[in-house]
Amino acid sequence: MSADRLSTILSKPWRSWLVAAAIPSAALLELGAHVIQTCSVVGEADWKAAREYVAAQIRPDDLLTFAPRWADPLGRQYFGANLATIEREARADESAFPRAFEVSIHGGHDPSLVEWRRTDRRRFGGVLVTTLENPAPVRVLDDFVSMAASASRVHVSIVQGGAEVDCPFSRGAPGSGALGFGPAVAADRFACPGGNLVAPTVLADPDYYPARRCIYARPPGAGGTLRLRFLGVALGRSLRGHHALYAEAEQPAQGPPVTIAIGIEGSLVGQAVHRDGESWKEFEFDTSGYAGTHADVVVDIGAPSAERRMYCFEATSR
Amino acid sequence: MNLRAFRLPDRIGRWDHLIGAALGGCYVASLLATAGGIGFMRDESTYFAAANAYVRWWLLLFERGSDALRQGVIDASWGYNHEHPALMKTLFGVSWWLLHERWHVFRFASDAYRFPAMCMAGIALYVTYLFGAQAWGRAAGLVAAVLLALMPRVFFHAHLACFDVPIMTMWLVCVYAHWRSEETGRLGWAIATGIAFGLALETKHNAWLLPAVIVPHALFAQRRSLLRGLRVGRVSLPASLVSMAVLGPIVFLALWPYLWNDTLARIEWWFDFHLHHTYYSIEFLGRNYRGPQSPKSYLPVMVVATVPTITILLFVVGTADRAGAAWRRLRGWAVLRSGDTAGPHEPSPRGETDLLVALALVVPMVPFFMAKTPIFGATKHWLPAYPFLALLCGRGFVLASSAIQRALRSSGVDRSRLVIDVGLFATVALGPLAITAHATPFGLSTYVPVVGGTAGGATLGLNRQFWGYTSQNAATEYLNSRAPRNATVFIHDTTFDAWLEMQREERVRADLRPVGAPHDSRFALVEHELHMNELDYAIWVVFGTDAPTYVVTHDGVPIVSIYRR
Repeated sequence: MSADRLSTILSKPWRSWLVAAAIPSAALLELGAHVIQTCSVVGEADWKAAREYVAAQIRPDDLLTFAPRWADPLGRQYFGANLATIEREARADESAFPRAFEVSIHGGHDPSLVEWRRTDRRRFGGVLVTTLENPAPVRVLDDFVSMAASASRVHVSIVQGGAEVDCPFSRGAPGSGALGFGPAVAADRFACPGGNLVAPTVLADPDYYPARRCIYARPPGAGGTLRLRFLGVALGRSLRGHHALYAEAEQPAQGPPVTIAIGIEGSLVGQAVHRDGESWKEFEFDTSGYAGTHADVVVDIGAPSAERRMYCFEATSR
Repeated sequence: MNLRAFRLPDRIGRWDHLIGAALGGCYVASLLATAGGIGFMRDESTYFAAANAYVRWWLLLFERGSDALRQGVIDASWGYNHEHPALMKTLFGVSWWLLHERWHVFRFASDAYRFPAMCMAGIALYVTYLFGAQAWGRAAGLVAAVLLALMPRVFFHAHLACFDVPIMTMWLVCVYAHWRSEETGRLGWAIATGIAFGLALETKHNAWLLPAVIVPHALFAQRRSLLRGLRVGRVSLPASLVSMAVLGPIVFLALWPYLWNDTLARIEWWFDFHLHHTYYSIEFLGRNYRGPQSPKSYLPVMVVATVPTITILLFVVGTADRAGAAWRRLRGWAVLRSGDTAGPHEPSPRGETDLLVALALVVPMVPFFMAKTPIFGATKHWLPAYPFLALLCGRGFVLASSAIQRALRSSGVDRSRLVIDVGLFATVALGPLAITAHATPFGLSTYVPVVGGTAGGATLGLNRQFWGYTSQNAATEYLNSRAPRNATVFIHDTTFDAWLEMQREERVRADLRPVGAPHDSRFALVEHELHMNELDYAIWVVFGTDAPTYVVTHDGVPIVSIYRR
């Protein structure tokens, strides 16, 4: 519409009524909305009531999520670390949870549960607790991240030029820093020659949310390989995992790829490559030939260069 | 004086200067009254230190002039934070030295540091009022100034010893002086334009764009005299352009001693620094941006999400009116060119106000539609556009008020224009006032009701804060009363200097020891931004828990999580 035509329309008598009604109405609407929005803060009592309900219902293998995602710190505060565990918060994905409790405020929903079947819904003031069932839950046999928390089930070494050097399990000062430091390293970890530390951590991948619980395992570079031997792993039909680099290490996407190779009893069952920019990337290898057995699983991680290759992976047998 | 008989003179004059000054004064008072609740930004802590260094040099200059003028001495003082010009930091320092150190007007140093920027905000209201009053009437000026004041982000940034509101003011002052120069033809205003341009350059690099406003406007406004001159072989440049070209660089160089040596190389470095500025992380629509390509929707979405909607509506009304006027002029020209002198046409206004306001509004925003422009400053980097957005609001208000009067008359209700103006003003100002008042001290977390307020902004995935200033709120709400004596605190995005200044000013308990890594701390803070989740997760690992002991919120939205070991 030309400005001339617009001008003609606006000069009509009804324009006066339109403006006379629209401007004050819009102003009052905005004021009213502000009052409503600032008065609709979810109270502590509602959170606590929801917590009591969930605490009475939840089973160890259930998922607990908070929505919208900005409510997550509040959920963790009110529900506590015993319910909002790091394993639930920093999950690799939702596939292993048979049931989920979605605790939401302001109409938020966890998009990862959109395919799940709703079985119950309870409201506690401003907090809505929805129970959902996973349409196809997967049974996890062994979780490599949990195994890496102690020396009893993992052996870590660096393979360089044909020689294999141990990375002993040790207790030291935890490692953390300001923004840009990368994933924190727990006090209990495997310490490799040259300062490479291997331990379970919680990673911020390039999406920054959700958190990712994984094994911090930087490749040594220069043709070397970081080797993690998981002892006596209960094997099923597949090994499924995810890998990523620390958010700032993937940006700008100029680093060399990191390769993870998984072998059982000397045979390669699969290998996956992670390239910068791929963020939290899934891999899955067929282990049906070993289903129902226990065996050592060897994970080799390598990259042409070690610089900023702040790599992390998780895997489960299922 | 009989108040009922009192009537402002038709001509804009001293009463209007009083009104503008009163608006500015009230604003400065409200800023001072609320400044204590706003912690110190990362950048402020740098500028405080720079202010001290600069003012010490000035003192040295008065005491031992020749020593102060040696390059080594100049560089030792002015080399600090030389990526930004010196005007505001010098004023922060002078204010600190006079109003805090010597005369004890302000008990706290930070109030003295921040005071010059607050005064700049007051000046912005004053000039906005005058500009609006002279262009479209007193009501337009008043509404423009008030709605500018009641933009939550403007109110927040106006508290800070930073450059974003000062450059907004200097941009406005320079444009206004040029406008007056065109309107009145007086040399004084042209000289003022040149000085204002120099001061703007000396405030922040946004001023590089001012010629893109002034040059085309001046050439267009004086096109007839320029063409007449060219026809007789004479080039007569507009006075304000000459003034900007001559006085601007002189003022700029005179006030920045760092440029007195290696001048060209240092200016080149200054340009290079800002043209290739580091990208910092910022969240937009749930995604973290830390480099090109910057989203082209960033500016429009952020304007709609942070400027009160009634302000935008009045802006739309005012803009439609001025666009209509421009269209009528264009059509008139077309008719004249076709030889139909009897056709409708509008005379050229001397100051070409519409064009100037349009350029001054659009030019500061243009870079934010470019893929390589960093967006980490959220809205603060295009604040210079806002006085002009507000001026068009003022015009929109006048039209709305007229429309209401016509509508009432058509229904047989006759109310004086003053009654309608006052009623409408109260209606349109109340919402922005409530939103802005409620936003303090979380101005960067606040979003307007049309996107759902603070919670709506968070749900949309819009940035919740930056600059690490909310550690003060963590202290006042939790740490000051509950942390054990001498406890260590990981202060996250807050600088050590800012934390120490907050301790000196009794905002943060003096015994709380700041540390730079979560594993060294007993308490750890996370000031929520998307990319700061990295530190949240690091704390989970070293503290062995993911449950904060306390969360500072605004409208129920997490601002700072506090972990306790």
